[in-house]
Amino acid sequence: MLKKRVVGVVTIKNGWAVQSFGYRHYLPLGKPECLVENLDRWGADEILVQVIDRSAANLGPDFELLERLGGLGLETPLIYAGGIRSESDGVKVIQLGADRIVVDTLLHVDLSSVRQLSDRLGAQALIASMPLSYQEGTIKWFDYRQRMSTSTSLEILNIIKSGVISEVLVTDWMHEGKPSGFDKNLLSKFPLQDVPLIAFGGLNTIEQMAILLQQSNVSAIAVGNFLSYKEHAIQKFKEQLADMPLRLAGYESKGSLLADV
Amino acid sequence: MTCTTVGIVDYGMGNHTSVMHSFRDLDFRVRISADTKGLSSTDVLVLPGVGAFPSAMQALHQRGLVGYLQEQAREQRPIIGICLGMQLLASASHEHHFTAGLDLIPGEVTHLTHSKWHIGWNTVECVRQDPLLQASDGESFYFNHSFSYQGPAEYQVCVSRYPEPFTSVIRRGSVVGIQFHPEKSQAAGRKLLKNLVEGLGHA
Repeated sequence: MLKKRVVGVVTIKNGWAVQSFGYRHYLPLGKPECLVENLDRWGADEILVQVIDRSAANLGPDFELLERLGGLGLETPLIYAGGIRSESDGVKVIQLGADRIVVDTLLHVDLSSVRQLSDRLGAQALIASMPLSYQEGTIKWFDYRQRMSTSTSLEILNIIKSGVISEVLVTDWMHEGKPSGFDKNLLSKFPLQDVPLIAFGGLNTIEQMAILLQQSNVSAIAVGNFLSYKEHAIQKFKEQLADMPLRLAGYESKGSLLADV
Repeated sequence: MTCTTVGIVDYGMGNHTSVMHSFRDLDFRVRISADTKGLSSTDVLVLPGVGAFPSAMQALHQRGLVGYLQEQAREQRPIIGICLGMQLLASASHEHHFTAGLDLIPGEVTHLTHSKWHIGWNTVECVRQDPLLQASDGESFYFNHSFSYQGPAEYQVCVSRYPEPFTSVIRRGSVVGIQFHPEKSQAAGRKLLKNLVEGLGHA
């Protein structure tokens, strides 16, 4: 049986891993490689690395970071987000070790590149990032470059519906970093109910996670800030979610306790 | 470090870095090459792959690797195809349009029947006795694909369910195809790759 996933998220700004609060305030955590290595060790089902200052400055993907992450020999599927402008950017990101890519700005500015990426890499490699909020009874889509929200356009919904993109990362950007903040309305009122969704932003309690994982349209939950407060955070969440359709928590070491003689 | 050398076939469509690290972590020597001379001095060939079937076959043709891989299979060289690399082992694929494959394992690659794609961790079930795969029966691995192999039952070693069964591992002699990503499947993937390389390398 296909399991649902717990995705560990590392957010990066100015080259540093940060805690992000409401897409506005940031606290430094340290080197991205250290956090990514922890998630790999802890048995995350996927690791999402999102570099949040690439698109706004038109810097393109952070290839140097990807090379450094590639050097870690990760054994966990890696999802990369940040600065992807074109098909060739996406292909290079995959060649540097990412398994899937997330597009956000491209959804606003260049849907033809999204289609090209899908043709070249397959829809399964493509995730749409949609920072959403639920205001006055409607879903609003946030453009972080313009810092304004609009209704989800028919064009974007059609491209998702057509199967060009395999999953949508629904981020509750207003409640990001806020304990128990995730607004369930973002999923229940999402205009496309048969598209697999990854829920992210303000997820930190087991009760909250369990409710989301029981929804048929939720394929994964993603946790970022709240993994930073304790060791083995992924395993601990999974142990408490043992009755959910998740892969079991695992503890392992690649190192031997026996000395080489 | 063992004396077994894994040759990763570089045709421009693979996630070579991840695959290379997996084999190195298992203490195998690794060579990444598009050069047939370089690949011929390795013990096991690995064909990784991420992307679409037609572009991948075109890339193999452009590098003169199609005939080489077919010849190596005839000579019983161990070959392991991973994800798209597994699909390339088949006779043909219907991704985008009909494209002939390497034809090392008879069968065709078609779109998944009950879903647009299959993404995430799923268990594999061995449907045929195979000493190289038996230890992985019931383990979970990471999948990320939209197409799957369809062919004679004699080549199907493992299936997975989503919810209907589809082929997740195929084998014909020393040629093995794996639909999932063992290099991204943590401990389960490491164990499977070790068993495969050691088993095929010493067969």
